[in-house]
Amino acid sequence: MRLLSLAIGAVFAGPAVFVVWRTLRLGAALPETLSEIPAPLWRTVQLAVLVSTTTAVLGTGLAWLTMRTNLPLRRLWRVILVLPLVLPSFVGAAAFIAGLAPGGVIHDSLELVGISPPRRFRGLGASWLVLSAFTYPYVLLPVMARLVSLRSSLDESGRLLGFTATQVFIRITLPQLKPAILGGSLLVFLYTVSEFGAVQLLGYDTLTRVIYSTRQTNRALSFAAATVLLILALGIVALERSRRGVVAPDDRAETTTAPAVKLRWRAVPAFVACALVAAIGLVVPLLSLGTWARRGLVDGRVSLSELADPALSTATVAVTAAVLAVLVVLPIAIGSIRRPHPISHVSSVSVVVGFAIPGLVIALSLAVLTLNTPIFNRFYQTMGLLVLAYIIHFGSQALAGTETAVRAVPSGLRESSKLLEPRTIRRALRIDMPLMRPGLAAAGGLVMLSTLKELPITLLLSPIGFSTLATEIWASYEEGFYAATGLASLVLVAMSAVLTWILVLRPSEAVSS
Amino acid sequence: MMSSDVYTARVNPSSMLPTRTRAIRLAAATLTLALVTAACGSDDNSSSDNSTEGSADSVTIYSGRNAELIQPILDQFSDETGIAVNVKYGDSADLALLIEEESAANSTRADVFLSQSPGSLGFLEQDGRLAVLPDSTLELVPEAVRDENDRWIGFSGRERVLVYNTDLVDEADLPTSVFELTDPEWNDKIGVAPSNGSFQDFVTAMRSSEGDEVTEEWLEGIADNDAVSYPKNSAIVAAVGRGEVEVGLVNHYYNLRALEEDPNQPSANHQFAPGDPGAVLIVTGAAIIEGTDRADVAAQLVDYLLGPVGQQYFATETFEYPLAIGEEPPAAVEAIEFGDVSGFSYSDLGGGLEQTRIMIADAGLEG
Repeated sequence: MRLLSLAIGAVFAGPAVFVVWRTLRLGAALPETLSEIPAPLWRTVQLAVLVSTTTAVLGTGLAWLTMRTNLPLRRLWRVILVLPLVLPSFVGAAAFIAGLAPGGVIHDSLELVGISPPRRFRGLGASWLVLSAFTYPYVLLPVMARLVSLRSSLDESGRLLGFTATQVFIRITLPQLKPAILGGSLLVFLYTVSEFGAVQLLGYDTLTRVIYSTRQTNRALSFAAATVLLILALGIVALERSRRGVVAPDDRAETTTAPAVKLRWRAVPAFVACALVAAIGLVVPLLSLGTWARRGLVDGRVSLSELADPALSTATVAVTAAVLAVLVVLPIAIGSIRRPHPISHVSSVSVVVGFAIPGLVIALSLAVLTLNTPIFNRFYQTMGLLVLAYIIHFGSQALAGTETAVRAVPSGLRESSKLLEPRTIRRALRIDMPLMRPGLAAAGGLVMLSTLKELPITLLLSPIGFSTLATEIWASYEEGFYAATGLASLVLVAMSAVLTWILVLRPSEAVSS
Repeated sequence: MMSSDVYTARVNPSSMLPTRTRAIRLAAATLTLALVTAACGSDDNSSSDNSTEGSADSVTIYSGRNAELIQPILDQFSDETGIAVNVKYGDSADLALLIEEESAANSTRADVFLSQSPGSLGFLEQDGRLAVLPDSTLELVPEAVRDENDRWIGFSGRERVLVYNTDLVDEADLPTSVFELTDPEWNDKIGVAPSNGSFQDFVTAMRSSEGDEVTEEWLEGIADNDAVSYPKNSAIVAAVGRGEVEVGLVNHYYNLRALEEDPNQPSANHQFAPGDPGAVLIVTGAAIIEGTDRADVAAQLVDYLLGPVGQQYFATETFEYPLAIGEEPPAAVEAIEFGDVSGFSYSDLGGGLEQTRIMIADAGLEG
């Protein structure tokens, strides 16, 4: 198992090693590096800290509201609140900004209540709001999965001791959620530092701008910036690992079915909070996209039928990448939870930092690695390499949920089940799988949603002629064909909603209740 | 729905085994299906690749021009000649990087590279990744719009213009020269795209015609005038439409596109005076990749883009200026003299595009 997780870790480390190797080979001049990198780096860190803190609170709060309370329409909220993750950030941000234009939904509603709408929507504040609204599902999904598999007997004891619902949440539930929350916030942090499209559109200058703007003219500097990003990621992963506390398997097998917390009057502010988050992350962009699409549909410039092929290939490749990513990181998760060992730690760090490297750099590094390796060069621009690239880029998203899944199987239960069912595979399917399913579904769900909207890797590494909804959205947006952008985006959101419901949320829900 | 208790996933496996097992089987079936579909998909692709890529009557293009803008004319080429066209679309700069890596590994896949701007072509040229074009191709356009080393050729042109918000500005008040934009009256009103290829090409052209000192002064003046940065032309046009900025420096056709999407958007193009550095023509270019064994088919494609059918396609469908000698500009834009077009050479300018980028950054326009 250790050897396996070492091997997996090594594959994941490929792009990172390549980035460092090329940085050393190109050797950026130090004075240049020092004059171009620190300022954007500092802005990047500021934004990433703000966004990951905000999403930690938002994601945890929303997960608790939708999983543990009697919030009205909570099952619907579970689907809706996951969806902001699925819009490619550049189009999400563009559609959000469009809502601020005269005739846009934000502009007009602000005027309706007598507030004059802002002339510009830019900078740190704007990027913080938009990125938080688009990325909190990275926290929401793992925390929801953790809440599903969490033993409720401790909560019960708390209530018997006279704790209020809030006290139970803060003193008993929250500490048990900590690894899931930290893992989710880490994903948000890494997403933010490697994000390019949205922050550019919102006029906030980060380190990825250095990577992109110098990628042709000064490749040494570009790779130096990527290495700095990598070091930043390693630091933050180390911090997360040291703070997340005990991640041993749950040792309490017994459970009780605790009643959902009654919100009573608090249901109103809770409902409003959910609605507000959904409004910023989903409704505002969707309304703008809807406006764009409608114009094109009215005069027949765009039609749904052209999107059938991209939609099908998007769904296929995303589900494949999701399932495989979970399977690939499972040995690492099992290793680091059940038998912690330096090797499994190193492997898990190597999986996580893959998310901090911008997709463009991952794509180029895998191109170089395959093109220059005799046997592997035949995989260049095949579906196999494309899916591998997705797995390397998004494996971190599978890891957090998979670890949650492994923790959900109590050690005691595993011991006793060995006596009842000696066949390993049957035991895994009958005892382990049901307990692990919420975590695994969340893990695969994040990878699936990320793959659905992935762009730079798909553009460079896919076989010639392959297109996804995201590439359609990008191609039309880039040249200002907004009707086509709007329609493809709406299809992407609708398809994601269906896939999320069928493959991610339903498997986590109780089958018998 | 309301009655269902969501506080679930009980740890009592025995009571759930039947349903759980069924669900697992379903999951396994889904997985298998997905894998099989994916496998079939890749089979389809690889087999079709094999059947076309290997034969002489096909050509592989890496296109930084969007599918929306160029696929129709490529299809027409394919129909007329029977030559299959395989296209990989992407950002011009990213595709240039990919060609660079493929070429460095002696494993090029592209026969032709179509770029949105000369910058990415210059990048590949300096590393020797582009082949010399045949004379018969080069002769199709004026010298001004092709590479002086004969390794790429312009096939359509976009004029740099000032897009303005018609509700906020009167056309009579707009400047005739791009140099007037450093006047205080334009403070906080201008949109620019400093990280965008066509803005950088325009600055490089200005360096070529006006010299580095003048260009530096202008860039600083624009930065001091609190110009607002956007990532690309289309974002500037949208911002001008919203009234976020009053004017913006863009390529001419983005506003024509925007008005086709939303005729009510209050934005219009304003041309600088002929000969002004602000009115330079930015060309989209084609090149044949060094080492391709299908150079003849590749040249045939480039010639087609520069022929009457290709050139009129760009004029009428994408509102661009045809570059081939004797072709008429589109009705939607005013004709400009080719004498105003600068076919500047990157190698002539010290440091080329990188020097331009540094000058933009030093002026405080980037970041």
